[in-house]
Amino acid sequence: MDADAGIEVTGVKRTFGSVLAVDHIDLQARPGEVTALVGPNGAGKTTLLLMLATLLTPDDGSIRIAGLDPVAEPRQVRATIGWMPDAFGTWDALTVREVLETVGAAYRMAPGAARTRSAELLELVHLGDLADRPARVLSRGQKQRLGLARALIHHPSVLLLDEPASGLDPRSRIELRDVLRGLAAAGATLLVSSHILTELQEIADRAVIVARGRSVAVQDLSSDSGSGGDTGLESGHRVSHWRITSLDPPRLMAALAHHGVATQPLTDAVDVEVAGDVAASELLAQLVGDGIPITAFAPSYGALETAYLAATEDRQ
Amino acid sequence: MSLHGVRTIAVLELRQRLRTSRWPVVIGIWFLVIGAVAGLTWWAVSSQPGDPATTLSTDRGTTLYDVVLFFVLGLGMLVVPSLTATSINGDRERGVLATLQTTLLTPADIVIGKLVAAWAISIAFLLAASPFLVWAWIAGGVEVGRMLLAVAVLVFVLAVVCALGLMFSTLTARTISSAVLTYLTVAALTFGTVIAFLISMPILSTQQSVRVKVVPDTWFQQIDPANPDGKNMTGPTAADCVYVTREQSILHTERTWWLLALNPFVVVADAAPSRKPVTYLGFEPLQMISDGARSARMGTTADSLNECWPETQPPPTVGDGTQQLQEQQAQQQQLQKAERDRLNRVPAVWPYGFVFLGLIGAGSTSVAVRRLRTPIRRLPRGTRIA
Repeated sequence: MDADAGIEVTGVKRTFGSVLAVDHIDLQARPGEVTALVGPNGAGKTTLLLMLATLLTPDDGSIRIAGLDPVAEPRQVRATIGWMPDAFGTWDALTVREVLETVGAAYRMAPGAARTRSAELLELVHLGDLADRPARVLSRGQKQRLGLARALIHHPSVLLLDEPASGLDPRSRIELRDVLRGLAAAGATLLVSSHILTELQEIADRAVIVARGRSVAVQDLSSDSGSGGDTGLESGHRVSHWRITSLDPPRLMAALAHHGVATQPLTDAVDVEVAGDVAASELLAQLVGDGIPITAFAPSYGALETAYLAATEDRQ
Repeated sequence: MSLHGVRTIAVLELRQRLRTSRWPVVIGIWFLVIGAVAGLTWWAVSSQPGDPATTLSTDRGTTLYDVVLFFVLGLGMLVVPSLTATSINGDRERGVLATLQTTLLTPADIVIGKLVAAWAISIAFLLAASPFLVWAWIAGGVEVGRMLLAVAVLVFVLAVVCALGLMFSTLTARTISSAVLTYLTVAALTFGTVIAFLISMPILSTQQSVRVKVVPDTWFQQIDPANPDGKNMTGPTAADCVYVTREQSILHTERTWWLLALNPFVVVADAAPSRKPVTYLGFEPLQMISDGARSARMGTTADSLNECWPETQPPPTVGDGTQQLQEQQAQQQQLQKAERDRLNRVPAVWPYGFVFLGLIGAGSTSVAVRRLRTPIRRLPRGTRIA
């Protein structure tokens, strides 16, 4: 097993009868990073995750998870991955703690180790005070958090999370973000599918956009765009996007034109493209120096949105 | 497959069942139903007319044993399929199967674990009925060894039914379909085999000439031509019978008896008949099933062509009549014993069914294991993974 390998998907294809669910997906998720899987409904995200989770064999192409083939060595892959499906149930009659301990036993953990780990994870996902309540009383968001804890029980080095944020309240979302960033910082490979683009922008280092069963674009999302590295696929962006609001828009536009910055005017603001953070701070200093009344100068999340909309234009 | 994995699943299943379903209520109702059947049987046998000294002492025990075991099997066939018939597709529907399949549990762990849990519950039902079997044993007439053999075979049959249900729950996406298929299969085994056997009888029967031992039609006329109706006369005895050759329809059940051997009721019934003289009186379902199956296996023999049935109506009273009555009873008991000996000489039928059911159980289990294997290459129509 190669711990540095992360997830490598090359030319994967999967059909169900005559339905083409995944046509051709290439994807790379590196250890220490959060990779987002973005795409419209029916784009093949869940099917791809099922193949990564050792439940489906691809018709074509290859998958390597930590250097292992999930078709040939499902057991070793299972020991490596933590999977959180988009829709899942829990054993309603069991308590939250028992659910985690049962999953621990299913991963062949010793009862003592499973107990310790369960308690640890219940604290992590803030379900500690519900530990002895039956799982059926949990709300949707709480179930979602239990699902995350379940995926983490055996210290997986690769995490496959299908819509982990759905149903979470704002506070839980922020906590989820911190948990995921923490796991990535500890060296885990995270692949997260989601619809919520602004949120992904905060969590993910890189987004793979899929549409109609094909991976169509890779978008670098790391804040320090200059060091984003090679994306391995077409249309990798190295510029950063900023949104500027001014009390005097015509003067702002004139100043931006004067400085030769690419702009995209919006109704009450303007998006600009600059070559990285340093360039952005220099631009701000220049604009302030010009005496433009700036009220906001913030990173724009429009980039992923734009890329997403461009990639999925032909959606039915 | 590992012991640890099987135990993980079995504990999970049992825990859920104990907490969700109205278990104590179901077991309580079960206990009351079996109790009512046992009580009524006891009451019926006890109020049977006849000499308490000769008939009741052992009959009550064997009848009670027979009826209780028959009902436990019958009700078990109704209850047990529901324990497993929606187990796997139900889990899939509730979204708890796929997350188990991605753990280190093997398909065999999951299948055997579920099987063990369902089997344990069916044994719990059997235990709830056991006081009535103990009652039958105390009443006497049944050897404890035979009783245990029957119970062991019963437990085995229930395990096979569990495995069948589990297999169907992996074969269909909808729980209702697997439940229906399981009940249909159980019905095919219990009723289908009997119906097939009955249909085969006229089809396979032949016309042939056979030697039959009978009381001559003209016996009364020969003895007393003045009294052809035989009024106030002692009936013929075995010595009066003669052999005649006649053309008649002969059934060849010896060719189709194996259909009966496949029947779970026959397997349990024949594993441990109470082995008492055949009276054809009273209600001893297991004994009757066993005798029927063995007669079928034997087919038509010289013994079964014996129509030399001496009179059974009470002869005219001479003196106080006690002596004649006793003689007649002795004669009848001898015949019953002969009939029992005849049936006991037929090799047992149940081992065939036992092996057959064992193959069904093992086959079902292995199909279920195969159906849970992941990663899946071909996803069957209508099924989902997660």
